[in-house]
Amino acid sequence: MVNRPAGIPEDAEDASIGGFNKYVGPLYRLSDLEEGAVKRFAFAAAEHHMNGAGTIHGGMLMTFMDVSMSRTSRLISGAKSCSTVSLTCDFVGPGKLGDIIESRVRVTRRTRTIVFLTSEIVCGSRTLMVGSGVWKIAVAE
Amino acid sequence: MKPLPAKLSGYTETKLIDPFEIFIGPVFETGAKGARRFALVVDERHVNMRAVLHGGMYMTFADLALGQAAWDACDHAAVVTLNMQSQFLRGAKLGEIVEVRPVITRRTRSIIFIRGDFQVDGETVFSCASLWKILGQD
Repeated sequence: MVNRPAGIPEDAEDASIGGFNKYVGPLYRLSDLEEGAVKRFAFAAAEHHMNGAGTIHGGMLMTFMDVSMSRTSRLISGAKSCSTVSLTCDFVGPGKLGDIIESRVRVTRRTRTIVFLTSEIVCGSRTLMVGSGVWKIAVAE
Repeated sequence: MKPLPAKLSGYTETKLIDPFEIFIGPVFETGAKGARRFALVVDERHVNMRAVLHGGMYMTFADLALGQAAWDACDHAAVVTLNMQSQFLRGAKLGEIVEVRPVITRRTRSIIFIRGDFQVDGETVFSCASLWKILGQD
């Protein structure tokens, strides 16, 4: 078993195996809630995720939301690849160094080619960001 | 540092302060305060498993560039992002240069509305609009 940062469960799956995900990560997938209706992801806020004001950079929170919604789109569609079409994020509150940040993703609707999702990014009981996104499922032609 | 691509001759490196922006940078700029144009050269760190610019990196570059424009618009007062809406039109490939000239749509006493069309060789690949709060203003 690979060691996880404090606050990340030992059995959490590393969801950042390559590319930009790995560069900004590690990002983890946690166990589902509500019988699979809520997919959960987490990361531990480190120095390089911060902005000049000492809070987590908006780009990092949006990246985390993008990764968690992308992964959820692939999980529920079974597709190898899904692309972000649109993402809207509201920055509700700041995150701090060392915080364990969690994204809770729900699927609003899935059609043959499109997934509609929402996510709430939280630290404990505090909301940091809410967002809604539209993903395109790559369909073999 | 790698030499600048020929297309960016005359550009200078944008001075970054946020650790996360330094981590994903550099980015480059040209033009005077209030009319700056920003450029990102897509490198190996920025792409996803399909070797195109990661959505998170698009949004991080957008937050950086539109944030710099917001900062210019309020004479370097402290500003924070309230909301950002992004549309992903197509992927940008390794080595491509993504450019934006942010446009201030409206500025009130406490809120700045900004948008930007991000282009590769004149083709729009990503579009976003963001709202910024000027801290300390009601």
